[in-house]
Amino acid sequence: MIETATTPVAALLGVILLAPLLAVLVCLGTRRPRVAEYANLIAAVLVLLAVLRLLPAALAATRTFWGGYLIVDPLGAWVLLSVATVYLLASIYAIGYMRHLNEDARLHRFYALFAGFGLTTLSGPLMNNIGVYWIAIELTTLVSTFLVCFELGRESIEAAWKYIVVVSGGISLALLGIIFFYWGGSLHLGATYDLTWAALREVAPQLNPTVALMAFLLVLVGFGTKVGLAPMHTWLPDAHSEGPAPVSAMLSGALLNTAMIGIARFIQVSDAARVGLLPRVVVVAVGTFSLLVAALFITRQMGIKRLMAYSSVEHMGVMALGFGFGGPLGIAGALYHMLGHSLNKSLMFFGAGNAMQVFHTKRISRIHQVLARMPVAGLLWLAGAVAITGAPPFGLFLSEMTILRAGLATPNAWAVFVMLLLLIVIFVGFLNHFRAMYFSPGVPADLSPVTARASSHAHPLSLWCIVPMWLAVIPLLVLGLWWPAAFAHYFAVVAAQLAGPGAP
Amino acid sequence: MLAAHLAPLAASFFSLLAIASLLLSFVMLGSRWLKDYLVAFALQSWLIALLSAAVGYYGGYHELYLIALLTALFRGLLLPYLILRIIRRLNVDRELHERLSPSSSLVVGALLVLFAFVVATHLGSSLGLAGTVAVLALTVMLSMKLIGFLMLVVRGEALSQILALLVLENGIFLGSQILVPGMPLLIELVILFDLLVVVACFGVLVRFLVMHAGTSSAHNLRRLVG
Amino acid sequence: MTRDILLQIAQVVTVLALAPLLQGVILQWEERVQRAQGPGIFQPYRDLWKLFHKQGVVPETASFIYWIAPVVAFTCMLTVPILIPVLTNFPLPESDMGDILGGGLILTLGSFLVSLAGLDSGSAYGGVGSSRAVMLGILAEPTLILVFVGITLLAKAMLPFVVNHLLVAQPAVYWSPAHLFLVAAFFILLLVETDRLPIHSSTHIEVYMIDEARILEYSGPLLALLKWASWMKQFILYTLFSNVFLLPWGLSVQGRAAGALGAAVALFGKFLVVALAVVFIETAQSRLRYFRYQEPLAASFLLAILAIVANQLR
Repeated sequence: MIETATTPVAALLGVILLAPLLAVLVCLGTRRPRVAEYANLIAAVLVLLAVLRLLPAALAATRTFWGGYLIVDPLGAWVLLSVATVYLLASIYAIGYMRHLNEDARLHRFYALFAGFGLTTLSGPLMNNIGVYWIAIELTTLVSTFLVCFELGRESIEAAWKYIVVVSGGISLALLGIIFFYWGGSLHLGATYDLTWAALREVAPQLNPTVALMAFLLVLVGFGTKVGLAPMHTWLPDAHSEGPAPVSAMLSGALLNTAMIGIARFIQVSDAARVGLLPRVVVVAVGTFSLLVAALFITRQMGIKRLMAYSSVEHMGVMALGFGFGGPLGIAGALYHMLGHSLNKSLMFFGAGNAMQVFHTKRISRIHQVLARMPVAGLLWLAGAVAITGAPPFGLFLSEMTILRAGLATPNAWAVFVMLLLLIVIFVGFLNHFRAMYFSPGVPADLSPVTARASSHAHPLSLWCIVPMWLAVIPLLVLGLWWPAAFAHYFAVVAAQLAGPGAP
Repeated sequence: MLAAHLAPLAASFFSLLAIASLLLSFVMLGSRWLKDYLVAFALQSWLIALLSAAVGYYGGYHELYLIALLTALFRGLLLPYLILRIIRRLNVDRELHERLSPSSSLVVGALLVLFAFVVATHLGSSLGLAGTVAVLALTVMLSMKLIGFLMLVVRGEALSQILALLVLENGIFLGSQILVPGMPLLIELVILFDLLVVVACFGVLVRFLVMHAGTSSAHNLRRLVG
Repeated sequence: MTRDILLQIAQVVTVLALAPLLQGVILQWEERVQRAQGPGIFQPYRDLWKLFHKQGVVPETASFIYWIAPVVAFTCMLTVPILIPVLTNFPLPESDMGDILGGGLILTLGSFLVSLAGLDSGSAYGGVGSSRAVMLGILAEPTLILVFVGITLLAKAMLPFVVNHLLVAQPAVYWSPAHLFLVAAFFILLLVETDRLPIHSSTHIEVYMIDEARILEYSGPLLALLKWASWMKQFILYTLFSNVFLLPWGLSVQGRAAGALGAAVALFGKFLVVALAVVFIETAQSRLRYFRYQEPLAASFLLAILAIVANQLR
């Protein structure tokens, strides 16, 4: 299936990688904040257009470029779609949100980092060499650290520190796992070879099972740290809650997916290696545990952005379950969930950011009567909250149902029932917070100093902050009502490619 | 693979270097003074550079000479220099509030080494490599990994945490030199470069930490919970 | 056969006779390093002579343990030289009664009774000394066992003679990291067990004393026996360290009288080397605080573990 480069796809790749790079350079070159924000926005638009063009080409054939270091395959292209979508939405939202922060002097740096973050996140799924993929993931950490601590508050620096230490430490385990894979392969392929996904998949059946199993577990823990699977999720709530809202959206909607694709590909390798069912059981167990942790922390949460962050842990757990169950249905569900979650979580963080602009607080208990203060954005946010808990008629409902169905047919059917129970707990716990914020009677404005100050400074939310919410909620609703046949076909192709000899 | 068919002299030389590196990570674990960590780290990097060169010589991988040179320059000189600058700026000499006394961490570290030993022996015997230097490399690699994590847990100073992360990397690098000497040059170069970027980022972050959070110890970062 | 029995007796006598001399040398050298004159190297013999001619004073509270402890300790120290290569590098008739572990057990038995005797008289210092000694023992024993395990893995035997032969026959093993780490680990143990810095104090009667406190109630011939026993313990540990770990050469191979005599002289030469290192450490180190006693022992434990790890390479 692997062909050499053809011009259109290569050009599209060039756009995807060069547009953000140019944006970085422009942002660093200019000191004018308006130029920087539009440069970033244009790059994001170009990237999304290029990715949309890339999808059919990727579906047609898996190709490698640049001496085999870049790969365009259906799975990677799908992740690119989610990443590019979130990148665009977050770039639009950032314009409104960052203007509100009054940091114009440093804004060009923010956009340089933001475009750099987009670049590294986009390049992850394109990497064919596993070592280079690891480096791309590592670079996303380094770039996004400075985005997380952009506001330079004590909490945000604490979050950035925890983020970089935990994730760097965790991801070094993944490197160890990759070395083990390379070592196992070098016993059969000779001392020097390129450790591409395809090469690893081919040599997998000959790998020593002990080495392969150990390598897989290390990789799972390593990239699992980056994905935010419990119990390696500890950095996630801090980083997601302390960064500016567009950064949180990127972290949650784009970055986690980029790391998740690594786990999906390694599951495929472990299927091909003769290590039995243990890898999948571990993935499913970790996914279930993520759901459990998320359910516990969501019900007792005090901070609005931490609530969203734990919801990310939950959805990464769901995706891990999808990939862990495997099979055409599981993979289709996981991929559908990925796109839906990216849209939905962006929407949620935008809503949280808007609420923070209006109410000047992150604490759930100080947010009251949302609809009275921000009618349109409030409604969209509420819709997003219903959607993210997996209620119909939104996209995540369909994908979660698909994953549940997929799981029933596997030996890990126990996880389906646990998942169902936990999803219900999360549904109740999550929406309870929204009930409190929307419908409980608030403190009268003249009694609460916070709201008093807020209302005196009240200014309407900028259009930049509301448009991306519409842009997220509409496809979400459409995806919930209608599962396009083209998608079904696409997922079938991905599932066929991911299916190995040992896959269920 | 190389490690399975080595002359006894080469094998014992490799093992000496590997064990000496492990011993140096214990020096880091058992010391309170940041400068001691730094010196131990630099020495460890030099040993690893020596190991790269030795593997290049005995295995006939000539590109490893380049790696050895770069390792010595980057990890042995440049990184310690960068970290020394951070130390000077911070005005912190030593770990003040360790969670575990140095001797207890030594003992815990020794137990971790035993764990690594068991895992490596198991792996080695499943591959039919028992008694070769590969098993030893595996042990040292896993031990340094575990010791790095132990340091991350018990040490609070920002700098100790950076050095702990570097020990993690050193462990991987050391093991990979013996286990997979033929790893493509590009990857090794990029990983070296990546390390430089990591340390630079940490340097900036430490400055933020001191300027805006008013502390250089990660143990004081405890506002975000739940 | 008779010759072997004679040799075995000679081993015991060597230990018995030379132990005070070793102590004398170390004490004098320490003083010399510090630019002082120091006592003569035969001073310990004169001390023993003096103590044996003194009258003993027995505390009223003392029970029979007070009486048997010095005798048992002394006997234990006479037993161990039978088991280890002091003069010959081949096992003598009774040498296979016990291995290294057995020797260690007998040494510990002596120490155990002395600790009991320290408690027995009911004086405050004796109790303090015994509790400190037991605490140190608790910290040091696991490491000692680990060193023995390391040696066993190295030589596939626990008999000191086998280890000695292996190290002499195979220089590769001698220079292997496993062996060198064992030497380092055992050296730290040696410092601890022979009452040296950085744990034990070099000036004897003071608040932080350990061994001196245990035998503070003794006087006269019984004290002489206890002191002699502790010097012999030091001698035995030095023998183990030199003949089994550090310098396994220079033992009598054929068991002739000249060879045995030469071995005794060589042994003392080796001791001088070890004593030099000990003296250096005593001079360079200051005593650790009580609550940092575990640090050198943790280091020793670690070295023993590293030795076992390094042993993987065969």
